[in-house]
Amino acid sequence: MQTADPNANKARHDPLEKVPVAQEPEMTEGVITHIQRFSVHDGPGIRTTVFLKGCQMRCAWCHNPETLRRAAELQVFAELCIGCGACVERCRRQAHEVVDDSRVFHRDRCVGCGRCAQTCYAKALVLVGETRTADEVAQELFVDREFYESSGGGVTISGGEPLMQPEFTRAILALCKRNGIHTALETNFAREWSFIEPLLTLVDLFCVDIKLLDDVEHKKWTGISNRQTLDNLRRLDTARKPVIVRTPVIAGLNDRPEQIHAIVDWLGSLFNVIRYELLPYHPLGAGKYLALGHNQPPQWFKAPAPHIFEQLTQIASLQRKP
Amino acid sequence: MTPEILHTISYEERLGYLRAKKEAQTREKLRRLGYMDEDDYGLVLPPEDFSWRPKPNHTNGSFYGISGWSKNFCDLLENHPVYVDPMDALAGRYMFLLNRMRSPVWPPELDYSHLKPEQEQYGIIHGIGNDQHLAPDLAIGLSLGWGGLLEKVRHCRNQHGPDKEEFFQAEEDTILAIQNWIRRTVNAIEEAEATETDPMLCENLREMAQVNRWLIEGAPRTFREACQWLAWFSMASRTYNRDGAGGQLDELLRPYYERDLRDGRIDDETTVFILACLLLIDTRYYQIGGPDAEGSDQTSRLSFLILEAAHRLKTTCNLTIRVHDGLDPELMRKGVEYLLEDRKACPRFSGDKALVEGFMRNGYSAAIARRRIAVGCNWMGVPGVEYTMNDTVKINVAKVFEVAFEEMMETTGVSPNIDELWRRFEDHLRKAVLCTARGIDFHLDHQHLNEPELVLNLFCHGPIERGLNVTNGGVDMYNMCIDGAGLATAADSFAALEQRIEKEQVITWRQIAEHLRNNYEGPDGRRVRLMMNTAEHYGQGDSLGDLWAVKISRLLTSLVKASPTPGGRNMIPGWFSWANTLALGKQVGATPDGRLAAEPISHGANPRPGFREDGAATAMVKAIAAIQPGYGNTAPIQLELDPGVGKGEEAVNNICSLIKTHVDLGGTLFNINIVDAQQVLAAHRDPSKFPNLVVRVTGFTAYFANLSPDFRQLIVDRIVREGNAVA
Repeated sequence: MQTADPNANKARHDPLEKVPVAQEPEMTEGVITHIQRFSVHDGPGIRTTVFLKGCQMRCAWCHNPETLRRAAELQVFAELCIGCGACVERCRRQAHEVVDDSRVFHRDRCVGCGRCAQTCYAKALVLVGETRTADEVAQELFVDREFYESSGGGVTISGGEPLMQPEFTRAILALCKRNGIHTALETNFAREWSFIEPLLTLVDLFCVDIKLLDDVEHKKWTGISNRQTLDNLRRLDTARKPVIVRTPVIAGLNDRPEQIHAIVDWLGSLFNVIRYELLPYHPLGAGKYLALGHNQPPQWFKAPAPHIFEQLTQIASLQRKP
Repeated sequence: MTPEILHTISYEERLGYLRAKKEAQTREKLRRLGYMDEDDYGLVLPPEDFSWRPKPNHTNGSFYGISGWSKNFCDLLENHPVYVDPMDALAGRYMFLLNRMRSPVWPPELDYSHLKPEQEQYGIIHGIGNDQHLAPDLAIGLSLGWGGLLEKVRHCRNQHGPDKEEFFQAEEDTILAIQNWIRRTVNAIEEAEATETDPMLCENLREMAQVNRWLIEGAPRTFREACQWLAWFSMASRTYNRDGAGGQLDELLRPYYERDLRDGRIDDETTVFILACLLLIDTRYYQIGGPDAEGSDQTSRLSFLILEAAHRLKTTCNLTIRVHDGLDPELMRKGVEYLLEDRKACPRFSGDKALVEGFMRNGYSAAIARRRIAVGCNWMGVPGVEYTMNDTVKINVAKVFEVAFEEMMETTGVSPNIDELWRRFEDHLRKAVLCTARGIDFHLDHQHLNEPELVLNLFCHGPIERGLNVTNGGVDMYNMCIDGAGLATAADSFAALEQRIEKEQVITWRQIAEHLRNNYEGPDGRRVRLMMNTAEHYGQGDSLGDLWAVKISRLLTSLVKASPTPGGRNMIPGWFSWANTLALGKQVGATPDGRLAAEPISHGANPRPGFREDGAATAMVKAIAAIQPGYGNTAPIQLELDPGVGKGEEAVNNICSLIKTHVDLGGTLFNINIVDAQQVLAAHRDPSKFPNLVVRVTGFTAYFANLSPDFRQLIVDRIVREGNAVA
């Protein structure tokens, strides 16, 4: 009788045993909104994406308003509240009150400590923004490394804007590279080159957004110029680092063929663009805006009509392959 | 009736017609039979004016034993309406499940009331009186044909004394009845041929008659004959007792395909069409690809054509690709490609490495373990030599948990704590396993008196030679299944108690016991339920729930493997609930994971729906790989993916990676639904608008519209809360 390979299970981790820490932990801290496993639209293969909190752009259509500010914030989903009153007891700053059987939240008193959210089992109060060390984040990112290996995937750092936390980003990337994991960075690239240069050896794939090529329009809709982004893309080309360029397409804002043509033409001078992708806008953010106490974004931001998006995709595909 | 047709009808058009006809038959089943919370089976209803009822041979109105089954089966086949469609490559449909036409299913004089108190206490599905669930060796039938089988039975009859007369007479009568069914069908084909005006269909009917005329006695010689023979086996075996186990279809048919191809009798288009017709007749479980006894990959051109047939058919099919290191990677990619494109939850993927290594732990060689192939909802069997009761025996561990918890809380002088609860859970699970083992012995000792396997005996190595029913010493291997059900419900309950009571101290044992008694109603009930429900649970990854799930699975495994049944039969543990989650849930009151009384228990080995906010498939893949009992039976993963997972090469690559990684980590069986959550929600509101929506419910696939509202809700919960969360 043949017997099974005694080494077959050697590499498997016994879930009931603790794994010893192998090396000195990387203590650089940063703020993240969340970590998403089985991420299949943020680079090649199966990936885990960590979303960093804080962004310097203020895109009018942003559907992730919880990623704009760096500080932790309390999201209040009033419709989920069961009126148990636990938040009132937990809060040390009287940010929560019950007035005439209704729960009232004073955002101006809230410091984002999250004590109330810890006992809000109804998830009506959710703290977004968690301070973690790079090592803690990396340990979670490494959990799915078998899938990265078999799918050609890896880790993606996204946001918010990762370059707004450059040291934290660098530390996570370095840990990934040290462990042989493919890395991608999703960024608006609107920071000085000096923040990017130290990352060149740590990032396998850059994914950079060009929202609009016209700078006046860009300033109008995002709050800042696109000059830095375009300049950095040229430098990245010189550095021979591969990049996927992407444009989120919003109806009536950047869905005219000439707008996409202009980006395609501009990219024509670069040699490092693997692909130019258009991302149809998903209007998901209204509830999140309200939960954060912001005004709701203008309702007219919509996804482009399917036939228009198809036409734009054809134009985008004209971007030559390397 | 021949439809209005063009002179030359393509295979695609013929399949389109046959598919539409099946869909109409499915709607008819819904109208006449009501909801079916199970496999579609391919069963077709008899004409509305046709009536047949079995004749009882017991005062309780049911029928039992060799003669009871033999007489009723033969009479049913004698009267069974014949079915011919000139557009089809194969003749026949089956219209009855004889084992569903009697009640009670167990003769009262074979008393097992001594087992019932514990069976009820622990929510045990004991399997006593359950039938089939073994793998036939169809090569026996293909090599002998019905005539050869009859000769074999008569030859063996002569080797035995008069005490076996009844058994052999019944086996002979079974074959004669099947032959007569084929003969009557040949007559019907000839009648159809005489009135058919289309020359091409006329030629098809002529060949169909020729094929079937030969098959009354002869062993199949050509590919079409082999498929028609498999169809007759399927129809007869389903009619007898709903048996749905197939075999290694590519290898069974490869010699016929290659010979016909070499001799110019067939081309690939015709092969695919005939295969599609075979798959249309019955949703039987077939394996393709995988290793042969020596470990070499069996993938052939025919493996791809079988996949292609299911792809073109686009109805409910149950094909399993056996994933091993040597598998042709193209077969796996093709399977995933069709899974994504067709959205019919077909094929499935089984993990050879863990199945083989696991089965070898029972003392078998690698060669035997490799022959143990996927032929059922969740289960494997060695064709023709193994009897298992697979998928018929289950212990509701959520119920065992409840018994342990209530006992601890009601015992005076005991200070409740998690270690004490675990000790009592262990004690009760041990009792439940022993009670189940006794039930298995009881079944094996008496089932031949209740329901002999008159059809499947013919396709095993031993029953005919020895004159013994397969349940009663007819075969050499008895590896009896015990599946646990409700893993996540029990694991999450342990985790919630440990976290909220012992670690956080935000509630006491007495308080939670009171809330469970009140089904989380009354003051603070809603908050407490949410608190328990949001504790760390199984599937999140390195959570308390994950640890408890591993601990519970190891406990079940060690208890099952600690010793054979009292009667000396080997047992093999697995995790599977089949379609029993609703019924098993009704046995259990509110649980500490926030589940309300009588709500369904968790599905199979799966974490509960909504186990992670991101619904990460990778997390589920790892969680379920970690709880595998590891003795050759399965703990399947049932994964729901939104079509947003992507398309094209990249999506195929990613899903292949999920499957391969699960298999590498010890996974045994991988089921995937690719379903749009919005579509499922719309179909739940008005199923009639989505008559073609097919979902893999558990091991089997079903038309969504034919499921009951409660059952549809289960599917909706799974798909909406998991599939939709894909990034």
